Amino acid sequence: MKRSLMDRIIDTIEAIAAMFVGLVAADIFLSVLLRRFFNLQIPDSYDFGRMLLGILIFWGIAATSYRGGHITVDLVWVSASPRWKRAIDVFATLVLLFVVTVQTYTLFDKVHATYNDNVLTYDLGLPTWPFFAIAWAGDVSAVVLIAIRTWRLIFHPEDLHDESPAAR
Amino acid sequence: MSADSVAIVGFVVLFALMLLRVPVGMAMGLVGVSGYAYLSGGAPALKLVGQTSMRTVTDYQFGVIPMFLLMGAFVSNSGVSRELFRAANTFVGHLRGGLGLATIVSCGGFAAISGSSVATAATFSTVAYPEMRRYGYPQSFATGVIAAGGTLGAMLPPSTVLAVYGLITQQDIGKLFMAGILPGLLAMTMYMATIAVICRVKPDFLPIAAKASWAERLEGLRDVWAPVVLFVFVIGGLYGGVFTPTEAGGVGAAGAFLLGVLRGRLGRAEIRASLLQATRTAAAVFTVLIGALLFGYFLTITQVPQKVTEFLTGLGIGAYGVLALIMVMYLVLGCLMDAMAMIILTVPIIFPLVTALGFDPIWFGVIIVMTVELGLIHPPVGMNVFVIKSVVQDVSFASIFKGVLPFIATDILRLVILIAFPVIALWLPSQM
Repeated sequence: MKRSLMDRIIDTIEAIAAMFVGLVAADIFLSVLLRRFFNLQIPDSYDFGRMLLGILIFWGIAATSYRGGHITVDLVWVSASPRWKRAIDVFATLVLLFVVTVQTYTLFDKVHATYNDNVLTYDLGLPTWPFFAIAWAGDVSAVVLIAIRTWRLIFHPEDLHDESPAAR
Repeated sequence: MSADSVAIVGFVVLFALMLLRVPVGMAMGLVGVSGYAYLSGGAPALKLVGQTSMRTVTDYQFGVIPMFLLMGAFVSNSGVSRELFRAANTFVGHLRGGLGLATIVSCGGFAAISGSSVATAATFSTVAYPEMRRYGYPQSFATGVIAAGGTLGAMLPPSTVLAVYGLITQQDIGKLFMAGILPGLLAMTMYMATIAVICRVKPDFLPIAAKASWAERLEGLRDVWAPVVLFVFVIGGLYGGVFTPTEAGGVGAAGAFLLGVLRGRLGRAEIRASLLQATRTAAAVFTVLIGALLFGYFLTITQVPQKVTEFLTGLGIGAYGVLALIMVMYLVLGCLMDAMAMIILTVPIIFPLVTALGFDPIWFGVIIVMTVELGLIHPPVGMNVFVIKSVVQDVSFASIFKGVLPFIATDILRLVILIAFPVIALWLPSQM
């Protein structure tokens, strides 16, 4: 029961990331369409596009980190015994957890600075910090997912869904 | 420790972490920030992490990557690969080695939309391999031709690898895409010529399939008109300056979505799969980009690119001698890592050298992508070979490498041609 809840959380995070990639494409397509054919401009289309991009990437990093979809060098791993493979995976995931945790901590400073400086969008003058905060939340979810991945790697390796080419 | 010693230790640790399967981007970021912190202090180094990460992911120009990935995913999940193969097969399948020719043509068509070598190789392992085996094509040839055809993904626009090269070196991505067209078409032609030579040397090696009627050919063409129109619209718009690369990607993704839905090829499951596929790949690429930018600060502070430039230009082997050394380095690295990681890791170091030697940056982008693509199929560890092996279980690595050897020879010849005649890559961009 507890594990299926984890899987639902992971699926939700992936769905959020996937939704944002669709939103970025829709934003770009509509703004090109309106500009070319109707000489109209969506206010803040550029700012929305780049901030949605940031959100999609950080939420995407969360999903990719959990699924083991990062670009890796698998030369040693493929020729290792199953025991060593697991040891390498645990080590790599712990390093990943450390790096993403540091990134999340430093990104919070950036969100905080954006809030303090009251950075606004160009056309509508909307505050940008909520977008940065949503992107940061993606990085927080990456830390959570990598921690879950580490837990599963050590205690329940059969529950992992590794998607790297070498693992297939 | 001196900056030189820190640089050497940094590279040793970086390679050790990568060999221990730490994601390439994370390893680069960790080493870059640690090295920077050692030389400049912890607080400024930590500040770099947040600033660089946020700046990279919110750079509108970088949106070109997820957008073209999404376009490729929509087209791929619409079943286009099968249709392209069927259409090509109706025209050339009846020739000796015709299914190999059809594989090359359809790989080129698919690559022109997916932009990924590995995706092209994986897709055609499921589409073309069973068909070739059904007609009695040898395993080695069937897998070899797919591995080679897969490499077209990085050359024909919209190539993700070329886009990343453009972002790192601040070159015009539209021009880079255009520069890849003629070399990509040359690659297709030379691969097909290779198959023709194999058939001439060993007449009974490859069988002949049944000849299709003109009705079947027209039927095949009807299936592929949509992706062809989409490709012409997107790349034509880019060439004509109607769209920026990011806009071209966004319009391409929306176009692929609309075509897929209107033709009944994209249901909820396919749409969801496409969105997830694009998100995961984009996240993986951006992770490496963020890591590379952080590593770039480390390179700047240790002056590695300047020292590499001084060392190599001081060897007295001339510009083309240095170029040959760089290409050999890429072929060796091709045994270790994939094309994207190679480009992102090495280009910041060698790009200043290349410009100092007077080479055209757009031309060099094409040459370097061709070289890393060669690394994807050459022994002992070609990534495309790896991917094919993961899809086609009943074939040995030795057999795939045997089949790919003639195409490696073709690739080397093509590299020589492009070095001798840079105009092949530079003519189209010069017309923009």
